[in-house]
Amino acid sequence: MASEKFVIPIGPQHPALKEPGHFEFNVDGEIVTDASVRLGYVHRGIEKGAETRNFVQAEYLVERICGICSHVHATAFCLGVERLAGVEAPPRAQAIRQIVAELERIHSHLLWVGVAAHEAGFDTLFMYTWRDRETVMNLLEGITGNRVNYSANVLGGVKCDIGPEQAEAIQIGLNFLEERTRHYLEVVSSDAMFLRRTRGIGVMTREDAERMGVVGPTARASGVPRDVRIDAPYLLYAEHPVELVIEEAGDLEARFKVRVRELFESYRVIRELLTALPEGELTARIPRRIKPAETISRVEAPRGELFYFIKSNGTDSAERVKVRTPTLPNMASVLALSVGHQLADVPMILAGIDPCFSCNDRMAVVKRNGDEQVWTWEQLRQYGIEYYR
Amino acid sequence: MSTLTALMALLFFPGGLIILLVGLAYEWADRKLVARFQNRIGPRWFQPLADIVKLLAKEEVVPQGVHPGLFVTLPVIALSGALTAALYVPVFGLAPSYSFSGDLIVTVYLLSLLTLCTGLAGANTLNRFSLIGATRTLTQLFSYEAPFLLALLGPALAAGSWRISAIADYGADRWLILAQPVGFVVALIGLMGKLELPPFDAPEAETEIVAGALTEYSGRGLALFRLGKGVELVVGLTLVAAFYLGGVANPIAFFAKTLALLGVLAGLQSLLARLRIDQTVGLWWRYGTILALVQFLILIVWKGLAA
Repeated sequence: MASEKFVIPIGPQHPALKEPGHFEFNVDGEIVTDASVRLGYVHRGIEKGAETRNFVQAEYLVERICGICSHVHATAFCLGVERLAGVEAPPRAQAIRQIVAELERIHSHLLWVGVAAHEAGFDTLFMYTWRDRETVMNLLEGITGNRVNYSANVLGGVKCDIGPEQAEAIQIGLNFLEERTRHYLEVVSSDAMFLRRTRGIGVMTREDAERMGVVGPTARASGVPRDVRIDAPYLLYAEHPVELVIEEAGDLEARFKVRVRELFESYRVIRELLTALPEGELTARIPRRIKPAETISRVEAPRGELFYFIKSNGTDSAERVKVRTPTLPNMASVLALSVGHQLADVPMILAGIDPCFSCNDRMAVVKRNGDEQVWTWEQLRQYGIEYYR
Repeated sequence: MSTLTALMALLFFPGGLIILLVGLAYEWADRKLVARFQNRIGPRWFQPLADIVKLLAKEEVVPQGVHPGLFVTLPVIALSGALTAALYVPVFGLAPSYSFSGDLIVTVYLLSLLTLCTGLAGANTLNRFSLIGATRTLTQLFSYEAPFLLALLGPALAAGSWRISAIADYGADRWLILAQPVGFVVALIGLMGKLELPPFDAPEAETEIVAGALTEYSGRGLALFRLGKGVELVVGLTLVAAFYLGGVANPIAFFAKTLALLGVLAGLQSLLARLRIDQTVGLWWRYGTILALVQFLILIVWKGLAA
């Protein structure tokens, strides 16, 4: 038996995963000795789809890449296309984009705290955070009319305005959430039983974090000062900056603390924006056809840096849209950190990066006998053309 | 006792059918309380019964690679073990149906049968989640069993008898929780470990190993295991209430005390995050067993001095 590997498969269907992904953990008793991952179960061809539609339709499509951080995808795409067209959204539109983006961050982080607590078998925290998340979802519905895919963005601006009544509703909602968040910060940093599952578990040193290139709260929990909102401000983040939230420990507890503390920054910056909401138009005119050019658009999604590459070719649709979501750079850390830990810690380490599989899946090559593993660009292109024919 | 009354006691009351239904009712109370603590609505009163009816109506899939005889009989043994244990404890505030000197030890063994069967059922299949679950179930069994037994032997020693009815009579006059608080806590927490309730639910931690040892079970087998757990909940609560909380001399005292204990269990379940299996073992052998042993020794010395 000693020579045989005992492999625990997690996924594609498994209660720990809300989305399909496949992990194989070799275990020796309860200790993980090796880990591997296979992604690509939810490849949806969105990049190709975005290239066959015009910019307006593509914006609708990319907003559906992620069900949790939908707004940042649309924002990244709009910012990129606007830059290609040489148009800038009016200040009021940018402020509203930023408010919605921060509300979305609140909703995403609260969701994450719940999911991660559930992985540790702490269902009470899970239920409480998700109950409170309803508040921010109602606020988003009040602004945009939608709870999930808000569709707040249009090319050149936003669809919806924030009036005084909505501003007041947001203030009331934020007051409630801020009080609750203080409680959650206390729970994740002082609950003795919960700390037994988070403190010192899945420690990623700053060197490891830099080497593996992790992004977002996962990196910030390891002491890496990396936040697109601060490094390369977009929207109104230069005028209304957020403070960098950073923890040095690099364990699961630090990942909890970073995300919960980031909520306070979000509350603060939303309040600041609401009191200093610029007057003016909501949209700027944007040409239908865009001259050939290419651009890179980066924004800070709740999970980390979201990267868009957009290339236009003089028509009304993009030549190429490339998306890199934050889950991809973070995924390697799960495999590296799992080794040496107990099987019981693996779901928490996995959840610790806040993975979003369907956002992440771009391409899957399933290895078959006789298949070449190295594809030339021509082969790949031909495969793509055949696949989507 | 005539054959007819014996059959009644075995199949209908207080063992058998009634205890099954009470087990389901307690399971509902537990689920409802935890749900309310977690700000959820919780199940309707007949939900556990509906679950059982549905499971009994379903096909029982026997997976490949198992010993089919064991696969089918293990749930039956588990349930019958729990039901037999119910005959020796004062459920509903009535005197136990059967009683003999030393029945406390037999009852504790009968209560372990469910866990043992669960472990065997997991080890019987080829499912990797079941195998890990079985290992954890049995590991957990070895960690709480000794302190749980010690915690029940405390009152036995005080009463000077290993007959459950005698200990219950002794406990009816006084609240042993005051004299032996450590024993009470160990017994209650041990019961949680026995029933694999959170935070001791590592053997069936769904986010790691799906349903643990019972992953391959469906239909009748699963229904019988769940019924067994319900019965064991009632029997365990009865034992703790009878020994430590001033006895369960009448039905009112029985329901009041066991339900109060159930409320405490539900509170603990919702307050605590799941322990890893190594932490469970560590907790029991580093603290639970030592504390129970110390109290046990104090009792023996005190008995010796008094005598």
